[in-house]
Amino acid sequence: MERKNVSAVHYLLLVPGVGFILLFIGSSIFLTVTQSVGLFSITGKSQFTLENWNIVFHEKESLDSILFSMKMGLLSSIGTLLFAFPVALFLRKGGSGKRFLASLIKIPLFIPALVAAFLIINLISFHGIINETLMALHIIKSPLRMLNDKFGWGVVAIQVWKNIPFVLLILSGSLASIRDDTVDAARNLGAGAFSILFRIYIPLAMPAILVSMILMFIKAFGDFAITSVAGPTYPPSIALRMRNTATMFQQWDKAAVLGVIIILTTLFVTWIYSRLAEFVTGGE
Amino acid sequence: MSKLTLKNLTKRFDSVAAVDHVSLEVDEGEFVTLLGPSGCGKTTTLRTIAGFYQPDEGEVLFNDRLMNNVPPAKRNTAMCFQSYALFPHMNVWDNIAFGLKMRKIPTDEQKKRVGDALDMLSLTGMGLRKPGQLSGGQQQRVALARAIVTQPDILLFDEPLSNLDAKLRVQVRVEIKEMQKRLGITSIYVTHDQDEALAISDRIVVMNQGEIEQVGDPQSIYLHPRTSFVAGFIGLANILDGKILARDGEKVELETPFGKLRALAGGFPAKVGEAVKFSFRPENLNLYKDGDINRIEGTILHAIFMGDATDLFIDVKGSRLRARAGSTARFNAGDVVEFGLGEAAFQFLE
Repeated sequence: MERKNVSAVHYLLLVPGVGFILLFIGSSIFLTVTQSVGLFSITGKSQFTLENWNIVFHEKESLDSILFSMKMGLLSSIGTLLFAFPVALFLRKGGSGKRFLASLIKIPLFIPALVAAFLIINLISFHGIINETLMALHIIKSPLRMLNDKFGWGVVAIQVWKNIPFVLLILSGSLASIRDDTVDAARNLGAGAFSILFRIYIPLAMPAILVSMILMFIKAFGDFAITSVAGPTYPPSIALRMRNTATMFQQWDKAAVLGVIIILTTLFVTWIYSRLAEFVTGGE
Repeated sequence: MSKLTLKNLTKRFDSVAAVDHVSLEVDEGEFVTLLGPSGCGKTTTLRTIAGFYQPDEGEVLFNDRLMNNVPPAKRNTAMCFQSYALFPHMNVWDNIAFGLKMRKIPTDEQKKRVGDALDMLSLTGMGLRKPGQLSGGQQQRVALARAIVTQPDILLFDEPLSNLDAKLRVQVRVEIKEMQKRLGITSIYVTHDQDEALAISDRIVVMNQGEIEQVGDPQSIYLHPRTSFVAGFIGLANILDGKILARDGEKVELETPFGKLRALAGGFPAKVGEAVKFSFRPENLNLYKDGDINRIEGTILHAIFMGDATDLFIDVKGSRLRARAGSTARFNAGDVVEFGLGEAAFQFLE
């Protein structure tokens, strides 16, 4: 095969994109990692130390934040999937109102996370629309705590609402690519609706399911905006704690440790999901 | 095994009748092909038998049991799709065993049946492969194995060979025919390929615009087409208009655009003076030899060497006809040649 000659000018095209990544993203990750071990410190003496790592892993507040963020990441990704998958299945075949529903459900995609959080607050706050309605209907006597609740259900609710359209886009594409003949073959061979869902739709959409769960987990695990508005007063999310540690307590090196934990966790979760994807798709 | 009966079957999409009052009886173990051009309603008929479509009118009966409202999963039919429709995430073994699992057949029985099906279709040793790792012919055999392993009452084939190359198509259609005869399963086969239909079927149902044009065994469909559509669709045919000049029992004298011809009308009830439409096959219009009843002089327009014969396009007094000559004969455009046509070659059309 003839190899194309690539001139040096051709490589110049890479400079803006790759240069930006190296300069701003690469260098900031490098600095975060080095500061977490005491190097290039901006608040103290620069020398290699694992003291900040030691502190974070022996500090209850930090561990609570890590666990809380993991919980939010996991529940938000599962919750979004549970809501989005049936809608994606409906949109695959359609019916009356398909286009209207598809448009309606994309609205949250155009609303920033912080604005979304404030919108949902109107619904789920102590004197929000839901509580007032339930009390007016005499279903409850006193308002339910749905916002800033200790468990974080309010955060999960906003994450699910905000991210359904995003996950729906991924799932719809995947489900649309399943041929009608494949589903008809299963029906013809004796499969009912339940078997078709669990033996055909879900396994064939599994790569998309895993990708949407990875992306949802990463978004919710590292979330700052939604938990700062709707999350519990304690524990804060890991991103919120990182911000507080750096700007309120001026402990930049310790904040760097939390930053590295966020990066490593997302990398680890991505690795786990990709292994899982390989397992369920047989490496294809 | 089931007997299949369609009574006045009608299926409409919006206001268009894709299948229009079709009635048909298929005996137990019979291999019937629905043949016709795209859009003639053959696949819609098949999918209605499978239960994927609900008929708007009429009845689908398996052994006299009304199936109109029985869902596809409960009909005990098995379909081979044009696209094979194998489950891409399952290996060959799991694909074939799928129908057995759905029917909750015990695992030992599943193993035996899948193993037998793999052997029968020369797929031994391929059980662990994914469909994407198989050739088109192998995929079609897996689809066949998946269909027969459930021991269906009726096997349904939706143009199963159309994605295969010409040689493989011939090979797999022989395999399908042998397998069907061995198992004796009632089979409905949909195709637009007349060669395939002639080679594989016990009976052929020729369909056009949602209706049945003619039903018969391959020989009678080919040799005795009843309508212009069937004559033109099955094989090659010269279809012409003429007038009966004289009739003596079966023997008639015809006036045609290129002169008088003598023909046998069989049981066709045409009277003297009546305008008729008739056809004859190119293979019956050969180079003239002594004893031929009809002598036709034509000018060669094109001669196409086909290997076993030479296909001729000729002009006979302004009528364009197809004729056939041996493979050793040589022709040039413009040659004037005499052709002979036997009186039994004529087929009168409704």
